[in-house]
Amino acid sequence: MDTLELPSIMHLKNGAGATLSLATGADGASLLQFYRSMSEEDRLVLKDDVTTSDWLDWFLSKLATGEAISVVGRVNGAVRGEATLHRTFHGWSRHVGEIRLNVDRTLRGQGLGIELARHIVKIAVDAGIDKLVAHMVEGQTAARRTFEKLGFHKEAELPGHVADIHGHKRDLLIYANDVSHIWSAMESMLGDFRPDRAPR
Amino acid sequence: MTRTEIRVGGLGGQGIILCGSIIGKAASIYAGKHAAMIQAFGPEARGSACSAQVIVADDAIGYPYVRRPDILVLMSQDACTQFAPQLKPDGLVLFEEELVHTNGKVPTTARTLGIPATRFAEELGRRLVLNIVMVGFFAGATGLLPFEAVEKAVLDSVPKGTESLNLRALGKGYEFGQSRLA
Repeated sequence: MDTLELPSIMHLKNGAGATLSLATGADGASLLQFYRSMSEEDRLVLKDDVTTSDWLDWFLSKLATGEAISVVGRVNGAVRGEATLHRTFHGWSRHVGEIRLNVDRTLRGQGLGIELARHIVKIAVDAGIDKLVAHMVEGQTAARRTFEKLGFHKEAELPGHVADIHGHKRDLLIYANDVSHIWSAMESMLGDFRPDRAPR
Repeated sequence: MTRTEIRVGGLGGQGIILCGSIIGKAASIYAGKHAAMIQAFGPEARGSACSAQVIVADDAIGYPYVRRPDILVLMSQDACTQFAPQLKPDGLVLFEEELVHTNGKVPTTARTLGIPATRFAEELGRRLVLNIVMVGFFAGATGLLPFEAVEKAVLDSVPKGTESLNLRALGKGYEFGQSRLA
């Protein structure tokens, strides 16, 4: 039975409770507050400047069109972590989804990040995505470990591809997980299904 | 004795046999009824005509073949052309409305209900779940089987990792079926 329904409540390793739910337009202000509360060090290698209202407008427009699906983690009502699936509906990469994950520094290692990532991976698979990618920067060991636990592996490394907010060049690591096999089992079942040879 | 004859028809690759199997499994394993299924498909795994004959009855089934279906579940025009003439005069046709046109094919005394199942499946994320949308539509529009029994049969039949989307597809079809009855 499915155990990844949203909203859901989880217990962090420190004993606190966290609520995970799908982000909607109503979460905009809380999300912006979450990102603005992050230190510059934590925002050093984020892809976008997530502290601006322009970013929020863009993000909410993506949520509205379904090009972004986001799960937020709240502790005591405040957003403390967020995972987003970014995808496109057109073009040659429409089967690929990019996952971005951010967790409040004080809650890292408490299980929130991997739980957010698990939900967004499942959402992506259900949404028809065949391949997932996550972009990381050298040194983001905890993030790499989180994605490796979910079946991701390093697919490419682009030297000096990332310029952080101070302009320093860093290596970009592209982690990927081909999840198409999950549905290929169903596809092959439909082609020549025989009840006496059902998979279980 | 109540005996309901069902014919599911379409093309290989649409999940026709799985659709029939789930209906039969829901009836026989989870709803306390008896069921029998006969499957038929062309030499190719995909694209050729494909059909399943399902009998659902309160008592043991002595003859497992469908003679005059009470219910047709149609997912291709060829299946409509082939099976519609066999339908009982007061029968029910459930069809994928973007793939099948029933005009002039079905006895005028029969009831027809269409569903944009392909579109629903695509909106849910996978066209592959078209057949599960149709199973849900069948359950919602006929009331022949309890939803819970069909839900268990789906969970029992689909590959691991695909359960959640398949259940949403089932629910989508079921709700649409019920709304068409209202």
